[in-house]
Amino acid sequence: MKKRKITALLTALTMTAGILAGCGGTGNDAAAPAAPAADNAPAAQESSKEESGGEAASGGEAQAITIWYYWETEGHQVALDQVIQEYNGSQSQYEVTAKYVPFADFKKQLSIGASADELPDIAILDSPDHASYVEMGIFEDLTGKFDVSNYYEGTVNSCTVDGKLYGVPFGANCLALYYNEDMLTAAGCSVPTTWDELKETAKALTTDSVTGLALCSVQNEEGTFNFVPWLWSTGATSYDINNENGIRALTFIQDLINEGVMSKECINWTQGDVMNQFISGNVAMMENGPWQIPTMQSEAPDLNWKVTLIPKDAEYASVLGGENYAVINGGNVDGALDFLTYATSEEKVKFLMDKFGYISADKNIAGSQFAADSPYQPFVEELNYAMPRGPLAEWPSVSDAISLAFNQVITGTATPEDAAADAQATIDGIVK
Amino acid sequence: MAKLKKFFRYENVGLLFVLPAFLYMLVFVGYPIIRNIILSFQDVNAGNLVRGTKNFILFDNYLELFKDSVFTTSLWNTLRYTVLCLVFQFVIGFALALFFSQRFALAKPVRGILLVPWMIPVTVTALMFKLLFATDIGVINFILRSLHLIDQNIEWLTTPGTAMFALICANVWIGIPFNMILISTGLTTIPKELYESASIDGAGKVQTFWKITLPLLKPTIESVLILGFIYTFKVYDLVYVMTSGGPVNSTHMLSTYSYKLSFEMFKYSKGSAVANVLLVILLIVGVFYIKATTEGEEE
Repeated sequence: MKKRKITALLTALTMTAGILAGCGGTGNDAAAPAAPAADNAPAAQESSKEESGGEAASGGEAQAITIWYYWETEGHQVALDQVIQEYNGSQSQYEVTAKYVPFADFKKQLSIGASADELPDIAILDSPDHASYVEMGIFEDLTGKFDVSNYYEGTVNSCTVDGKLYGVPFGANCLALYYNEDMLTAAGCSVPTTWDELKETAKALTTDSVTGLALCSVQNEEGTFNFVPWLWSTGATSYDINNENGIRALTFIQDLINEGVMSKECINWTQGDVMNQFISGNVAMMENGPWQIPTMQSEAPDLNWKVTLIPKDAEYASVLGGENYAVINGGNVDGALDFLTYATSEEKVKFLMDKFGYISADKNIAGSQFAADSPYQPFVEELNYAMPRGPLAEWPSVSDAISLAFNQVITGTATPEDAAADAQATIDGIVK
Repeated sequence: MAKLKKFFRYENVGLLFVLPAFLYMLVFVGYPIIRNIILSFQDVNAGNLVRGTKNFILFDNYLELFKDSVFTTSLWNTLRYTVLCLVFQFVIGFALALFFSQRFALAKPVRGILLVPWMIPVTVTALMFKLLFATDIGVINFILRSLHLIDQNIEWLTTPGTAMFALICANVWIGIPFNMILISTGLTTIPKELYESASIDGAGKVQTFWKITLPLLKPTIESVLILGFIYTFKVYDLVYVMTSGGPVNSTHMLSTYSYKLSFEMFKYSKGSAVANVLLVILLIVGVFYIKATTEGEEE
């Protein structure tokens, strides 16, 4: 009987544990699926050693360079692939391949890859996360290797830590206010430029089936991205919220909800959901980014919409988004730099930006990128007011505090004063 | 030699059969768990994941967790979610199993169709329930309004209390077929003669249920409940898709909070500490299960 007990115990233990482990990465070590993707990296290192042994690049096999990116839009993937193919055709020393990692898994895969030493050679990552990975020590110092003097200051700041450049901005975007021009005309409203005007306009546009304004309010980085322009417009900073300004921003958003001109459902809407509500005519105005424009033009070609600056409280403000290239140290650094030099040339940047619906991080290119009446043009203007999040290694924790505070006032679970005080306490614990 | 022969007696051969599975589990499950436990005693974050020293801070992560209100909420959420889901799944599943054990036309095909919720991927179910419970466009509010049960739309997924209710509804829907099919199988193992002789002795339906069906189903019921507990307690995908732990952290479970700490906030050690709390609770449940089943066998 005892033996049966032991057998049963073993089976049950392994069964429980197996199911637990099966739920996927509860810990840091569920790295198995990541392995096949990254095994190019060591191979690249080996072949690089062989080649440096003497043979000219013409004879040997091309060294593999791997890129990880998270764009799910097909147009983005095709455009990136085209640049890569052109690069591969233009020389024979390196062979670049790109791998798609879903956005939700991207940070996880980079973390797991870092601890398991299985990383790509180049990562194209969300700019607010850049500082955390610099802190982790997996990015190569690129100071002096790229000319970023013409780039928007915010984009360069997002990949600069302690005065050193750890990445190259891929492209820039920011948030602005989209409005449904037909609805505005029908309600006899003019385009709002201040918070008071925005609230009045939103009220006038709200009907039984239409809410005046929508902005993505999910409780994560995406939500924070959409909240900070309102916070910054008052003069508050990301790290100093528990004051008159911070509370005014929280109160403004809460008022929009309480007066019914913004739906509480926004806390479950991603930026894509917000855009879908807008083109379906359920929402009259929305805060969103330029990357939605290609989809909006193809899905709702007849919708009459325009873009303007986000209305201001004390000053115009927007948030800088976009991706940065980063070179992984320990990978094939020379090959990565060679590809990046190619991909950041003016011609390639122009091609990528046009296909992506992004604005170039290079001011000179951005200035002439769009026609004056292009829907992208307001975003170029808004970019002058756009600031980056962080850069700070602990930004994810600060971001969590900010999105929590806004979610608290939207759901009415805390007053703006309490939410601001709570967020400040969390942020002080991180930053000071 | 004699000893070796003695070892390979009938009873011990069982252990050998378990060996390959055990070795597999040791490498692919045991090792990660041990690493995870070590990780939870260290202070690993973005700064020292790759380089630098990982200090052992022993139970500091755990002590901090119990002061963290989001953690205590997730612990409480996971427990009440599991218990409530189990109660409803089990009772409804049992009732359906009894119903379909009657012989009537189409009993078998209909029972098969009822398995569909169990076969649909959880993310699909989650999206479906997210739309059903949507405030303005959701079918549930529409029905309630049409029946004049409510005047204003209920904000199911954007109010802390009702969001948990919506999650439980979704999971009960998924879990009913699982309970039903296992109990149905259990019912078929009860010899029909018992019911026949009971009815000859004059026992009523209720009496046969309490005196024959339930006692003979005891092993099945125990398995159903323990497996149900484990499946429900480790919920991740359903919550991630429906609420992502919101609104305002009110529906975080141990699993979602562990993921958030580890992979969104780079607090790897704290995240693994949460995962270990999950593991310990499931192990305790597992031990109770073994006790219950082995006692039953020894009677």
